[in-house]
Order: sequence, then C-alpha cells, then structure tokens
Amino acid sequence: MAGPAHPHSMAPPKPGRTRAAPPQMPASWWNTSRMRTYLLFDATGIIYLLVGFVAIRMIRALAEGAGAWQAAMQSLENPIYIGFHLLSLISVIFVAVRFFRLFPKAQPPSIGPLKPPPGPVIHAALYAVWIGVTVVMSLALAGVIF
Amino acid sequence: MKTLLLKLEPLIWFMFGQGILIGTILLTGWILVVGVLMPLGIVDPANLDYTRAHELATASLFGVIPLGQLILAALLVLPLWKGAHHIRSLLVDFGGGERDGIVGGLLYLVAIVGSGMGIAAVVGL
Amino acid sequence: MSSTNTGEAIAPTQKTIIITRFDPDKDEVPRKQEYSVPCEDNWKVLDAVNFIKDELDATVSHRWSCRMAVCGSCGMMVNGEPKLTCKTSLKEYGDRVDIEPLANFPIVRDLVVELDGFMHKFEAVKPWIKRAKEKAEDKAALHDTKLTFSQSAEELGNFKQFSMCINCMLCYSACPVVANEPDFLGPAAIALGHRYNMDSRDEGNAERNEIFRGEGTVFSCSFANECSEVCPKNVDPAAAVNQAKFEAVIDWAKGLVLPSPSSGGSN
Repeated sequence: MAGPAHPHSMAPPKPGRTRAAPPQMPASWWNTSRMRTYLLFDATGIIYLLVGFVAIRMIRALAEGAGAWQAAMQSLENPIYIGFHLLSLISVIFVAVRFFRLFPKAQPPSIGPLKPPPGPVIHAALYAVWIGVTVVMSLALAGVIF
Repeated sequence: MKTLLLKLEPLIWFMFGQGILIGTILLTGWILVVGVLMPLGIVDPANLDYTRAHELATASLFGVIPLGQLILAALLVLPLWKGAHHIRSLLVDFGGGERDGIVGGLLYLVAIVGSGMGIAAVVGL
Repeated sequence: MSSTNTGEAIAPTQKTIIITRFDPDKDEVPRKQEYSVPCEDNWKVLDAVNFIKDELDATVSHRWSCRMAVCGSCGMMVNGEPKLTCKTSLKEYGDRVDIEPLANFPIVRDLVVELDGFMHKFEAVKPWIKRAKEKAEDKAALHDTKLTFSQSAEELGNFKQFSMCINCMLCYSACPVVANEPDFLGPAAIALGHRYNMDSRDEGNAERNEIFRGEGTVFSCSFANECSEVCPKNVDPAAAVNQAKFEAVIDWAKGLVLPSPSSGGSN
C-alpha cells in the first residue's frame, strides 16, 4: 500500500529550477493505530448506508400493512441479518465514542450571542442524551413503556 | 460536478453531521431491539406487532406534532448522509481525489433517492 | 551539588540510521542509504542526522536551525511518522531508524522538501489583520493602546492557540486529504486564516471565507485529526478547520433565512 501521493500534492504554483522527486505517502500510512481508527470510522459509512436502507425497507413494509410488516420482521431473523445488525451495533457505539470525543472542539467559541458550554460539559451531555434516548427508545420498541 | 458539490458543501456537511449525531443517537436503540434482541428472541417480537408498531410510528405529541413520524424520518434519512459522505472521504483517502466530483455526486444521489424513499414511506404510514 | 558529568559516561549505542537520498542530477527516484551511528543516550533524532552530516557523509542534505522546537525547520518522517527531529528522543526508537523527507511534499534533495507550495497556500489565507477600511480610530489607536486595538482576555482566548504555529508542516505530512486533494488549503494554513477570522480586531472574514469555502475548501477535511495529533505545539489545527466548517454552515443557514443584501428581499 506504499505509494505516491497525488503528484501535485503541495506542488509549487510554478515549477522550481531543479527537478524534484514526486511527493510520497508513508509506506504504511493506513496501518498506524490512529489511522486505522480513523479509516474504520469512515468505513462505518458503508454500514450506516446499509442500515438506513434496511430501516427504510421496514417502514415501507409497515406502511403496506400487517402482512408485509410480519414478513419483514421475520426476515430479520435470518442469521446474515442478525450478523449485520450486530456489526451495526458495534459500529454505532464506535462512531458515538470517537465522534463525541472530537465533537466539542469543532464548536466555534460563539454562535451569534450564544456560547457553547465547555468541552467536557458537551462531552458529558452527548453521552447523557445518547444513553437516555437509547434506553427510552429500546423500552418503547420492546413494549415496556408507551 | 465538483463545482456543484463545492456550492452544496455546507448543506452536505450539515446533513452528514446530523447523520453522525442524531443518526447515531436514534439508530442505537433501533438496531438493538429490532435488529438484534427481537430476531434472537431475547425480546418477544409480538411486543412490536403491526398494530403496536403502527401506533408507535404514528404517535403524536399533544395530538398535533407527529413525533413518531418525525423520529422515523430522521432515523431513515440521516444515516444515509453520514454513509454517503464517509464513503466519499474514504475513497479520497485511497487515492480517489481526482474522481471525487463524480464519485461524490453518485454517492449523494444514492442518499437523495434513499431520503425520498424514506420520507415517502413515513408519510404513507 | 555534584556534577553528573563526572560520572562514568554511558557507552553510545550503535544504531542503523536509514536516510532517504535524492540527488536530482543523479537519481531518477529517491533511494535509501544506511549509516551506522554511535548514538549517545541523550540524543535527539536530529543529533544523529547532524552526526552523519558532520562525521560520515557531508553530502547528506537536511534543514535545521534552532534545536529547540521553535523554528520549525527540522520536520522529517521518523519511522513513518512526521516528527520535529529536534524534539524527538532517539531512545524512543529501536536499532533501525528510518528517516525520510516530509511526506506529501515534492523532494528537492535528500531530506529537504519543496516549500513553495506551502507558502502559496499560506499566503492565500491572508494571514494578517485586515481592516475593512482605514478608520479614524485606527490612527488614534496607534497612540493610545486603550482604544480600538485593545482586546479582552476572552477575545484573545478565541484564537491564541491557533497563533502558536511554527510552520513546521508536520500536519501536512500527516493529513490524508493533503495527499490526495492538491487544492486543499491544508491544516496549518486554515488554522492561521481561522486565527485571523477569530481576531476581534480583524475585518477580513469575508475575503478569507471566500477562499475557505471556494477551491481550497475547508470541507475537504475529513476530520482524521492527524494534524492535531502530530502538532508539536498543540495548535490543534483540526479544531480550527472544523470550526471554520461550522461557521460556513451557520452563514449558509443565515443566508437562507435572512435576505441577502444584494437581493433586497421583500420580508
């Protein structure tokens, strides 16, 4: 996976007087622990896209009627679906943990007259909302509440 | 295509950001119960039979705000944008900078079509 | 207090230092050359390269100056990671240390990279205080520091971190987007532009945002956060780039709600 970077990466606006060797990326740029984490984070995009379409399929079935809904729910019992959803569950947890860590510093110091709270407060609030919504939603879907 | 994307970048990034933030927050419970616990029989799927699922999905707040449908719309649409945008940046990282315009355009087209399908399904409930 | 220098000297450790060599007159492509170097216990990576240059092979070319992580000249790839070599202990590495020129930059010779591309991006963000137009109070402020140019600690805090950059360019070597999107302004340049955008004395946001949101788009950034990880001065360029994106989204949303000055909207 070693290899050249884009040939014009960091190139001067006009060529210099001496011949320069083209820019290179580190031989194993993708294989450091931080880069692997980042690339996996991006790769969860594939899971999100698929999970989104599975959810769309479920709600389309729900709109269709009782029979379609029943069949759709049963299809999720396929081991491939269960495996995919387990992977999805790991993915969303991973995305939440990495994103919640990075999110606070992307906040501008002020948004109009409003000032975002300090980083650790945002971090804690994100976890609280995430866990809270997940618990309420799970209990609602499982028929315990509402 | 690249020029068009450049103009739309704030909107795309906004949808992508909401996809990570709200998408992740909403998806966790959905995947846990509907995708894992019910298929495995740990939670009885009968608790989410058609009648109850439809009731939940069309539940409204104070009889005016269609809360169930709003949540579902976000759950169906936002992850697609997180997905499309992240696949795009993954492809750029593996040398796809040159084709970013066309590849990005196609990925967002998938997200747009999916969003339309999702919203149509939610409205049709 | 007794001097530690009187104690027995620790014997140097022999390490193999592998240097990337490239002579544009002779080499078609960069090649590697190995040197066996007796490394002292307290050496930084730069000391080993200097030893090679001084004692083993005077043809090796590299940049360095201050030796105290201020000048930003001695950035190199050390075992595949961008490092300020004067700040990086050689002890952290094993018997073989691979030293390459900064990744993602054209290589001029050996460990020396082409800087013009970086300087071009750097200049593009207009890294100086821009005033909309010379105001009467600007002139007055030259004589009375309590006037226009005074700044609260909070206002300073909004950008101070981003002004600590020493232009060592490690962030450019670490960034996966820089490697693939030649137009991307890159971490240090955006951080510096953002530093002036955040400065309460500056009025050049509109001009800089045009560049930020145009060709060199801040939106190319995929938030790998590597720039901030490798930054030797804790500037956190990733924060600047993503704050700049956030501001772009807010401005874009404002544009939807508020009539733009040119269209003279009816509401």
